Amino acid sequence: MIVDVNAYLGHFAFRRLRHNTAAALLVLMDSKRIDKAAVSSAGAITYRNAQAGNEEVAEEVRVRSDRLIPFAVINPFYAGWQDDLKICHEEFGMAGLRLYPKWHNYQLSSPCCRELVNAATERGMVISIPIRVEDNRERSWLLNVPDVSLEEIVELVKAHPKARFILLNGIGYTGCLLGRKDNGLPSNYAIELSRLSAVLANELGQLITNLGAERVMFGSGMPFNYPDPALVKLEVLDASEADKEKIRSQNAMTWLRL
Amino acid sequence: MTIFQITLSSPRPQTRISRRTLLKGSAAVALGAIALPPARGAAVGQSAPGVSSGPPPKGKVIDCHAHLTHHSRATWEADDRKLIEAADKLGIDQLCCSTLTPRWPATLDGFRECNQWTADGVRRFPGRVLGYCYVNPGYGREALEEVRRYVGDRGFIGIKLYNEYTCTEPVVFPIVELAIELGVPILHHASHSHYFVEDQPRMSDGGHLAELARRYPEAMLICAHISGGGDWEWTIKALRHAPNVLLDTSGSATDEGTVEMAAAVAGVDRLVFGCDSSMTAGMGKIRGADLSAQDKEKVLGGNMMRLLGRRKA
Repeated sequence: MIVDVNAYLGHFAFRRLRHNTAAALLVLMDSKRIDKAAVSSAGAITYRNAQAGNEEVAEEVRVRSDRLIPFAVINPFYAGWQDDLKICHEEFGMAGLRLYPKWHNYQLSSPCCRELVNAATERGMVISIPIRVEDNRERSWLLNVPDVSLEEIVELVKAHPKARFILLNGIGYTGCLLGRKDNGLPSNYAIELSRLSAVLANELGQLITNLGAERVMFGSGMPFNYPDPALVKLEVLDASEADKEKIRSQNAMTWLRL
Repeated sequence: MTIFQITLSSPRPQTRISRRTLLKGSAAVALGAIALPPARGAAVGQSAPGVSSGPPPKGKVIDCHAHLTHHSRATWEADDRKLIEAADKLGIDQLCCSTLTPRWPATLDGFRECNQWTADGVRRFPGRVLGYCYVNPGYGREALEEVRRYVGDRGFIGIKLYNEYTCTEPVVFPIVELAIELGVPILHHASHSHYFVEDQPRMSDGGHLAELARRYPEAMLICAHISGGGDWEWTIKALRHAPNVLLDTSGSATDEGTVEMAAAVAGVDRLVFGCDSSMTAGMGKIRGADLSAQDKEKVLGGNMMRLLGRRKA
């Protein structure tokens, strides 16, 4: 079984996406033998009112919730986010959050964000943070959105030891505290592999050594990305089959209570 | 002395990913055989003028854009071995490599020692590493002599140009004319971002390469890393009407649809597979692309073999 913790539905403001409806994404997943995927709204990344994107996702996955696990995009600086969180969790059955501090223009250390993390944690929701949405060199002339700093993430995981974080679309963890062995941080975060190297520098292998295979999860970024590069990483990774199975599905199943 | 011959047989050891899996694009290796929907053929453009139109060589996988490690890095030998090991794992038969200077613009001594190290790499990994001769065109006569030495006499397969000059600057033209004379491709660094890239002020983009291609229609140009060169949709569209520019699929970005758009706009005969050190990204994109198995064979190696076959004696 493969569980992808990094997938999306809907339109992205700056590039046409294919396979971006629930039906089309499931066809793509079938062709790659990906069983389940955590999905959030691509539109909500740039919508002012992100809840509109959550509503779109909820409608898309309504009859497909056995395979598509909806995540909510919440902007803690937008009016009514507490109501949105309640609706997303209780009515839409969303299992987690996706936070976009750079796109939504707030600091992870801000009190509003800390309040959101606490509220989601009380509900048992997982909090995922895409370090980036797309390669910054491709960016539109309209904007320049930096990657989320890994140092900000360090402070966040330290401040919320009971929260559970999944870090998406990131790289360079072994160059900072997050990817180091015995780093003194709570083990409340997992790292998704879509941008990690599995050969040459092999950051993926280093993370397994340093943090344990329990802390790494499969994700592709589809349909922004081809799912195949992430699948290839698992194939060429020098790791035991037991560790690969954890990464492929078991860790996500545990965290998402599937 | 020629220290390299293009080999038609595959010299690499057993790989972990079968060619069948590479071309079908699936998680089959990890999960066992599965039934896949038939691949849909992409719109295929016409062959580039001057490129022979015979059937592509079957099955050979050539990374058109690779690098050996500069020897100032203490781990260069191990790093080069890792590159070959990665190629083994991914089913890549041959890697077209240059060695680049760590700082630009490259000095004369700087690119000379890089080319010597590339030649050493060709010797250390016979049949696996093919050499590009890297020069800074600003060195004029010395740069041309370097190309003649390594491409003309020592069997390097092409020329690598970086960002010292925009490719439309006249200082580059003698290099292009020599490449035409020798019948070898130029792999040109390129990127198009919608902002000024301060540390690469003379960066070329797809538009510059198209302009150079119009000036020299008999040149064989390769636009480097469309997937690591900024707005790839812009680049692909800029190259639509430049039939003698091939598009290197390498780069760290894995945006879904890149390969399909390149095939639809430029034609599959103009796509060449590359990694530029982003190994799983490079191979994964081709596996994931919605192209027929035959078209993937062209991209993975057939098109590059055709290009290398145009070398003049």
